[in-house]
Amino acid sequence: MNWLTSYLNLASAYIKINFKSLLAYRGAFISQMVAMFINDFVWIAFWCLFFTRFPVVKGWGVNDVITLWAIAASGFGLAHMIMGNALALPGIIMRGELDSWLLYPRAVLPHLLLGKSSASSWGDFLFGIVVYAIFVKPDLAHFSLFMALICSVAVLFVGFSVFTGSLAFFMGSAESVSTQLRIAMITFSTYPSPIFQGFVKVLLFTLLPAMFVSHLPVSALRNMSMIDALYSVGGALGVLAAGIIMFYVGLRRYESGNLMEMRG
Amino acid sequence: MSKYFYIALTSIRSRLAYLGEIGSKTIFLFVVLYIFLCLWKVTYAETNQTSLGGLTLKQMLWYLVVTESIIMSLPTIATLVDQDVRTGALAMQLVRPLSYPLNMLAQTSGERVLSFALNFVVGSIIALMFVGPLDINFQGFAMFLMLLPLSFALDFTIYFLIGLAAFWLEDTTGLTLIYSRMTMILGGMLIPLELFPEGWQQILRVLPFSAIVYGPARAFVTGDLQLFLSVLIQQVVAILVFALVIRIVYNLALRRVFSHGG
Repeated sequence: MNWLTSYLNLASAYIKINFKSLLAYRGAFISQMVAMFINDFVWIAFWCLFFTRFPVVKGWGVNDVITLWAIAASGFGLAHMIMGNALALPGIIMRGELDSWLLYPRAVLPHLLLGKSSASSWGDFLFGIVVYAIFVKPDLAHFSLFMALICSVAVLFVGFSVFTGSLAFFMGSAESVSTQLRIAMITFSTYPSPIFQGFVKVLLFTLLPAMFVSHLPVSALRNMSMIDALYSVGGALGVLAAGIIMFYVGLRRYESGNLMEMRG
Repeated sequence: MSKYFYIALTSIRSRLAYLGEIGSKTIFLFVVLYIFLCLWKVTYAETNQTSLGGLTLKQMLWYLVVTESIIMSLPTIATLVDQDVRTGALAMQLVRPLSYPLNMLAQTSGERVLSFALNFVVGSIIALMFVGPLDINFQGFAMFLMLLPLSFALDFTIYFLIGLAAFWLEDTTGLTLIYSRMTMILGGMLIPLELFPEGWQQILRVLPFSAIVYGPARAFVTGDLQLFLSVLIQQVVAILVFALVIRIVYNLALRRVFSHGG
């Protein structure tokens, strides 16, 4: 229990420090947040237009897609505003920059992930919550479940980023592959899940676990189904476990970069 | 003019050295086209229609191949201009016997042509795999080939203007993002204009966004002569207007350039 409290304190300290460092470049931070807000909003506009013309797609309406976007954006945002280094993992491994993280008396992976906050992710996080509150107008029960599912999706995104980023231990230059896989995962996560069938559906429950971002959380919120919510959490924990295993197995292959680095 | 042609050619050659990087982006193209195929397949089936907005499912996917290829081939024009302004590299460009805007046009056009060609080839292979060949006529293809360079030129003028805004603004990335997203949604990249609400369509047809994305793509899949002529006129007028605006803004901006030796 002491161990958990210690890591929660560490996480809280890192969140504060990272937020302050983002505020040091206030203009850039705000503009990145606003830019991400606009970017996400364009997709909501697209779906509103689409559903104006075609009101239902395989049982999904405009509110379901807005819910989907809200969960995906906020989940992704929460993951990388707290653990921003998850996005930079392949580059860190490839350039041998893990050395400095290995010296700390902390578990390498959580400490490394907490080391940076992604500015644009704050925009994603706020966007999801604002859009859900304004367009879907949830009651307290729905909003509480929504917030819980955001945490589940955030865990999944961290796990997936760690998994794909750890490919760098095995492939060397894995930045491009990792980015492409992440983009594919995000893209599949932001479309109504019933349009995918057959082999692709299996793929989206396994290698590109987008169904744990789109299908299950939306179903959980629509039907207030605790079973679907638990499946979402289970899937997210599974992906996180896979990411952790991949990282520590890969870490055994890691060779020091002999890189002199100072962290302020 | 030949010097600008050679600059464009050199740009293509230098980008050829990074073909792998451009190629890796086509994975995203594959994902997007596959997802849109699934979405439209379901939509056509649920509405029991063989044609939506005047396009069959096959035409819709080919339309998306063109629109996605146009959008995904975009070079970072505004960022390049912004950096030249901010770093002062623009002053170095001014002493060369070249027009800075035309030099930038040639450089980025070379890059865009190569990137578009690669995206279009990969997109066509994907479309062939999923829906088969498009019943294209020579007329439609010729129209597309005429509209495409003008679409690139028009897009360039707007991004160049955004880049020039760096003379007055602290950061132009927000403007770039807003413009690019407006092109995506209002230009018909995701949905053809015919599927927008009736009231919007007339407005969207006269905005420059549709001349960049929708016009060339629609002409490619339908070969509609009337559409071709209206898009052509729209493109030429818009390019002339934006070129004039660039001239005015560029001359104003140059008054703010201060350089010193070193």
